[in-house]
Amino acid sequence: MTANQTPTTRVESARARVRELMAHRESGVFLALVVFFVVMYTVSPIFRRPFNLTTILRQISVTSIVAMGQTLVIVSGAFDLSQGSIAGLAAMVTAKLWKNAGLDPPIAIIGGLGVGVLCGFLNGVLAARFRLHPIVMTLATGAVFLGVNFYITRGESIIGLPDGLTWLGRGLIGPVPALIVLMFIVAFLMHILLTRTLFGLRVRMIGGNLKASQDVGMNVERIRVGIFTLSGFLSALGGIVLLGRVGNALPQIGQGLLFPVVTAAIVGGTLLTGGVGSMAGTLIGAAIMGIARNSLVVLQLNIYLQDIVQGMLVVVALLIDQFRRGELTWRIILGRDR
Amino acid sequence: MSNEHAVEMRGISKRFGTVQALNGVDLELRRGELLGLVGDNAAGKSTLMKTLYGSVIPDAGEIFVEGQKAALRNPRDAQALGLAMIYQDLAVFNNLDVAANVFTGREYTKRVLGITFLDKKRMYDESEALLSRLRINISSPKLLVERMSGGQRQMVAVARAIGFDATILIMDEPTAALGVKEANTLLDLMAELRDQGISIILITHRITDVLSIGDRVMVLKGGERQGVLDVADSTLEDVEYLIVRGRPDGSG
Repeated sequence: MTANQTPTTRVESARARVRELMAHRESGVFLALVVFFVVMYTVSPIFRRPFNLTTILRQISVTSIVAMGQTLVIVSGAFDLSQGSIAGLAAMVTAKLWKNAGLDPPIAIIGGLGVGVLCGFLNGVLAARFRLHPIVMTLATGAVFLGVNFYITRGESIIGLPDGLTWLGRGLIGPVPALIVLMFIVAFLMHILLTRTLFGLRVRMIGGNLKASQDVGMNVERIRVGIFTLSGFLSALGGIVLLGRVGNALPQIGQGLLFPVVTAAIVGGTLLTGGVGSMAGTLIGAAIMGIARNSLVVLQLNIYLQDIVQGMLVVVALLIDQFRRGELTWRIILGRDR
Repeated sequence: MSNEHAVEMRGISKRFGTVQALNGVDLELRRGELLGLVGDNAAGKSTLMKTLYGSVIPDAGEIFVEGQKAALRNPRDAQALGLAMIYQDLAVFNNLDVAANVFTGREYTKRVLGITFLDKKRMYDESEALLSRLRINISSPKLLVERMSGGQRQMVAVARAIGFDATILIMDEPTAALGVKEANTLLDLMAELRDQGISIILITHRITDVLSIGDRVMVLKGGERQGVLDVADSTLEDVEYLIVRGRPDGSG
């Protein structure tokens, strides 16, 4: 800033900077997160306890890890509704590999992750080579994965898991819970993947303009398979972290994961029509959902309100998105535009 | 084969079912000229250009690019010969920035630990240089295309084509969806490119566009060539007469 600038130009350049900031899709949700956090921090002494803040981070970590995969899928213009089932199957296979096959926990975990990769690869092939619609297809494969899970476990839990299997979910790295560190590592790597690599660019291209992507001559099939495979891997990782969070291996683990995951991505500004979305946004989305849930507890409101709050947040996020894209205006809402 | 021609098409015919879309059409595009291609709807303008771009295979006829006989089986063959076609429905990525669009399909990358990273800085620098060389008025290569006007998007598409070392540009109704001011800016750009040595075929309904910046104008009617006029000594009426009535000998 030079000395001869008049106050008006200074105001204008500040305005320009604000406008530039707001142009980032994440700015809106980030602002919402900050406001929400500050309000809760101010009104609730329980909320601002370090223990409570750590709890929120622990609670959102599995959702976030899986949601990073979902974000990648949605940015490519598809959906992966089988994530919860993959998480459950991978967790149970991991537990069984330890219990029944007698494998060391690290090997069992690699086996579980392998199952996730395999499931994701299958989804990818069905979507890319066989051109099946991803929503219905992953709904179906999700049912298959869940079925396989209950078939091999006979619906029975495996209890008394060793530390090696629960460490990811409940271990500490110094003073910090391992799963929080894991969440940030996954978020960072996925952010780099989406924004800095050729693969990430291809994902955004496919989601933004499929026809033009094909005209460019890129291998759309291979990229799609890669996307679903990665989604399967992250789902499995989330499922295995859940083993430690829950402490036992329950076959229904991972059920109920899908809605918060999709919610985090949508609240975080991922465009449902594809092409646009960010890992930072998804992380912010997960944090907003986490704080919302936590507020119900610390304000001693009924925890059963959480589904209502969660559902309403998604609707609000969708509305905001429609407004931003100009698909929705007050004139349309008031019925003056047909 | 004359060497002054960037493109020569000889006796191009194409039938779609019962419709004879093109019937023995000849076309010569001189090197470094701007040739207007005009005619009514269904005159065969787009089909003719698609045969040149390899996206339609003609039933008969020959195509020469820079004096060499060309076998064009798909657009990639055409691109390899330095041709680029910019369609009405633009193949730009609205969700990406200008640089990503300019470098679509030939991104600069560097491999680190087996992972292919984008060389963003190089792409930003080179797109900035390209934009300023073409005198395209887009303030930054980091701008998202979705925030741009229709005319600016066309210019991004043009920059992409030129960035691919295209020397022959086919533009299909580029000004159709633009306002007057934007259309004029785009026409200025096309004239500028022509002056830089690019050969351009401009398909358009706006005959005045061709008359203002073009060198010659070719008229198609009913899939047949009606004539080629020099812009310098033709009027709007001359061109319109050919479009409506066809060749003076009445065979059109």
